[in-house]
Amino acid sequence: MDIDIRHIAKLSRLKIEDSELAGYEKEMSDIIAMVEAMPDISDELTVDPENAMKLRPDIIGETKITRDEILKNAPKIVAGCVVVPKTVD
Amino acid sequence: MKLYEYSACELSEMLRAKKISSRELTESVLDRAGEVDKKVNAYLRTDREMSLRMADRADKLIASGEAKSRLAGIPVGIKDNISTKGIATTCASRMLENYVPVFNATVIEKLESAGCVISGKLNLDEFAMGSSTENSYFVTTKNPYDLSCVPGGSSGGSAAAVACGEAVVALGSDTGGSIRQPASLCGVVGLKPTYGSVSRYGLVAFASSLDQIGPFGCTVKDVALLQDEIQGHDKMDATSADRKYASLLDNLNDNISGLKIGIPSEYFGEGIKPEVADAVMKSVKELEKRGAKVVPVSLPSTGYALSAYYIIACAEASSNLARFDGVKYGYHAQNCDGLIDMYEKTRSEGFGREVKRRIMLGTFVLSSGYFDAYYKKAKLLQKRIQQEFADAFNSVDAIITPTSPSEAFKIGERTSDPLAMYAADICTVTVNIAGLPGVSVPCGYSEIGLPYGMQIIGRKFDEQTILNLAYAHENAFGGFRRPEL
Amino acid sequence: MIKGYEIVVGLEVHAELNTKTKIYCNCRNSFGLEVNTQVCPICLGMPGTLPTLNEKVVEYAIKMGHALNCKINRICKQDRKNYFYPDLPKSYQISQADIPLCADGYLDVMMGDGNVKRIGVERIHIEEDAGKLLHSDKFDGSLVDFNRCGVPLIEIVSRPDMRSSDEAKAYLETIRSILKYIDISDCKMQEGSIRCDVNVSVHKPGEPFGTRCEMKNVNSFSAAVRGIDYEANRQIEILEAGGTVTQETRRWDDQKGISVSMRSKEDAQDYRYFPEPDLLTIVVPEEKVIELKNTLPELPNAKIMRYVKDYGISHYDAEMIVDVVEKSAFFEKCIEAGCKSPKLLSNWILGEISKFMNEGRAIEDTKLTPEKMSELIGLIADGKISTAAGKTVFDIILNEDRDISSIIEEKGLAQVSDDSALEAIADSVLKENEKSVSDYLGGKTNALGYLVGQCMKASKGKANPGRMKEIILKKISG
Repeated sequence: MDIDIRHIAKLSRLKIEDSELAGYEKEMSDIIAMVEAMPDISDELTVDPENAMKLRPDIIGETKITRDEILKNAPKIVAGCVVVPKTVD
Repeated sequence: MKLYEYSACELSEMLRAKKISSRELTESVLDRAGEVDKKVNAYLRTDREMSLRMADRADKLIASGEAKSRLAGIPVGIKDNISTKGIATTCASRMLENYVPVFNATVIEKLESAGCVISGKLNLDEFAMGSSTENSYFVTTKNPYDLSCVPGGSSGGSAAAVACGEAVVALGSDTGGSIRQPASLCGVVGLKPTYGSVSRYGLVAFASSLDQIGPFGCTVKDVALLQDEIQGHDKMDATSADRKYASLLDNLNDNISGLKIGIPSEYFGEGIKPEVADAVMKSVKELEKRGAKVVPVSLPSTGYALSAYYIIACAEASSNLARFDGVKYGYHAQNCDGLIDMYEKTRSEGFGREVKRRIMLGTFVLSSGYFDAYYKKAKLLQKRIQQEFADAFNSVDAIITPTSPSEAFKIGERTSDPLAMYAADICTVTVNIAGLPGVSVPCGYSEIGLPYGMQIIGRKFDEQTILNLAYAHENAFGGFRRPEL
Repeated sequence: MIKGYEIVVGLEVHAELNTKTKIYCNCRNSFGLEVNTQVCPICLGMPGTLPTLNEKVVEYAIKMGHALNCKINRICKQDRKNYFYPDLPKSYQISQADIPLCADGYLDVMMGDGNVKRIGVERIHIEEDAGKLLHSDKFDGSLVDFNRCGVPLIEIVSRPDMRSSDEAKAYLETIRSILKYIDISDCKMQEGSIRCDVNVSVHKPGEPFGTRCEMKNVNSFSAAVRGIDYEANRQIEILEAGGTVTQETRRWDDQKGISVSMRSKEDAQDYRYFPEPDLLTIVVPEEKVIELKNTLPELPNAKIMRYVKDYGISHYDAEMIVDVVEKSAFFEKCIEAGCKSPKLLSNWILGEISKFMNEGRAIEDTKLTPEKMSELIGLIADGKISTAAGKTVFDIILNEDRDISSIIEEKGLAQVSDDSALEAIADSVLKENEKSVSDYLGGKTNALGYLVGQCMKASKGKANPGRMKEIILKKISG
């Protein structure tokens, strides 16, 4: 099975150097070959009502972390906002 | 005997009897780390001042009689993918090298309110992806029984730290074997709890539907002690099970008479080193002597579990790790030409090779045109595996298998062959796929003294039965042997 | 139909729900606060955080499902939609893919001509909103405000059942009034709390549907109308010139009044949907689904049809009253209180009552009751007081809790309908205005109005104008 590593890398927002390409192709193909040995099961995925979750009541939380604290890990802050390269749309 | 050499349960009694202080104990553990971690590299970070502050607080709690938990004053090592407020949490990745969380994981909140001491943050494979700790961006942890071997992974730091007394007990996380396999390779006890019994809130996600935090200890009792403290429903985690959790330690009982143990032939054949299989079967014989009944069971889809596991785990990982984009936290590439370039550079430079490969594999199996052939198939296979376990548990109380197909392997031996590395997980992934509890206990040693591990798998939320079996085994086998460093 | 082409329109409406907290965390759900102050580790997607689903979001979406006659999938799940963008902290949006909470419904919309158009509703699902990007020419980069991250949204997807921009507009307006009626959304377009994506295709009648284009960034209903017309014309021009329409996503620029291509089908994003592993199955008990249906009020589209049919009010007026919950509630309470003339009542609600409501005063802030309003309408309808006198009374009962009869008595507002009194007035006015009488007899019919006016003036406005006119006519035609 041929995998378009470049396309997958683009979807994953990863930059793959030309020198790395062959290595990834080989490894990914090996893994996919292993995976393709899985038996076919002709069934559909269903949701399991037994695996239900409890929903959260609509009540505003008390704990408040300040803006400065919550953004302290961001690489760049201007006017209380996180900065990113200019976006078009 | 130095303080770090005692078990957590022994230390707990000594602390409460005020024979020792948490400060003394913490100093002993950190001194031990200072002495041996140069060789072992279990820790990514310790902060003596912080740990001693926590120890002093614990001593006050104990002195005033306010300490409710038996774990008060005990130093606990934390795998570095568990969020600790104010303490860097790196996931052993360049991506999070300087990331300091603003919140605690629920398990950390629990440990802090119990009066525990955090001894430091422990090494792992980057984002818990790996079986050897070699994928850490910072350092490779060594196996304390043979420093040229891997400690297993991904919670290699946790297993090695507990084995050499650098932490009394430790927390790890297990997605496909990441607690049990390193526990096996480092000769300690490691429990992967039932999915949903320990809150995942604050555990940096690898594969959300498989991840589970769990305890490491030198003894079964220590593991029960730590699990008692961290288990329980958490409203912050929608996948956490809302049920009553009885104390495992209080109910620990080595009378296993009448318990039925299933032995699945699929876990003892090809790919499993005969010495390992023999050691496990020898231990099973001992359990049989103590009244357990041994029954053959069949788990026919086991051979496909690894494939299903990698598809599901990587699919989820590709999405879970998409948030690391250089915008809000973490590594941020310099000199970028626009948004997409910033994303690509940041992620390519911030993630290591194994993480990138898994992200791409996950992206591929979810991508348009491939979802049905891979992801859907894997999920259907997961259902089948779950059903096979459920059928087996109709006739047995626990299932015993090797934990790892072999003892610890050499550092560097498998790094260039992902499939060989992935094979280290063949006995453990099924347990995550089925959401069951599994514990690894040491059950023998190779000629050169490397530990073998035995895995005991139980019904959902029946940690008690597998810990009772592990306890009975431990009593028969002779228990933990500290490595010489 | 434009130039022999039929236009096919489908709409995706995103409405922000007015729950107290966000969809997956307990941050306050509110608009317009200072940037990045309504955020927590969860809605910022910090490593290790997990979502917990707000129960009200599920309830609100089910209400909308009932309002749009949908089948409720009370057992469903959430999925991740994966794409990278700076306003999306987790780089995936938690949404619903193959099993929406509500599906297969329809909406009946009354058009301006009184005809009812049924528009299919394919699905309604719940999802989270993204943050906002702020741009400034002064600054080389974009700024991200995450406050809106995790604000709950429902996406309502129609079937391609609309055949004109008018139908699309009527559909959108009906959706908006329903959201407001069942009180699940503030529907403030300028705050972006309701937004839509528009799908347009054109084809010759009898031929299969044409290739559709999706238009994003449609931020108001009038923009939707402009966008649809523009897009239909653009496609028709292409076809007329012998070309083919290519499937693509376009961006509507309302200022320029044009749409521009954003991306073609080939670069369509691959969202890699898969079930959200951090959340388990959503299971809404059957009883809850029924309870939500039973608590649903009469919906505005049904109300409009009923007002037109039962009360003889014009479609336009009915829409205007129904558009504001308070007005239609008051209207109905007056009818209940025995109001004689619904038509007259609707004029008063759209006139005097709307006037003070527009000034920001609510009916409940006044002393006006449905009983008094009905009594007043009855007096005017029966000719007991004039419309002008009615306004005087209205202004008083708006602010004072007083008997209407005592006001009429005190101010001497009762209309004179007694023929002998009216004849006396007529006699004196006719005598003083002989020129007008002869004008009227000479064919100048508007002289009659002047004469009636003079009589009204002489009576100080108390004469019943209808009766007055009859008496004058009798006397001059005599």
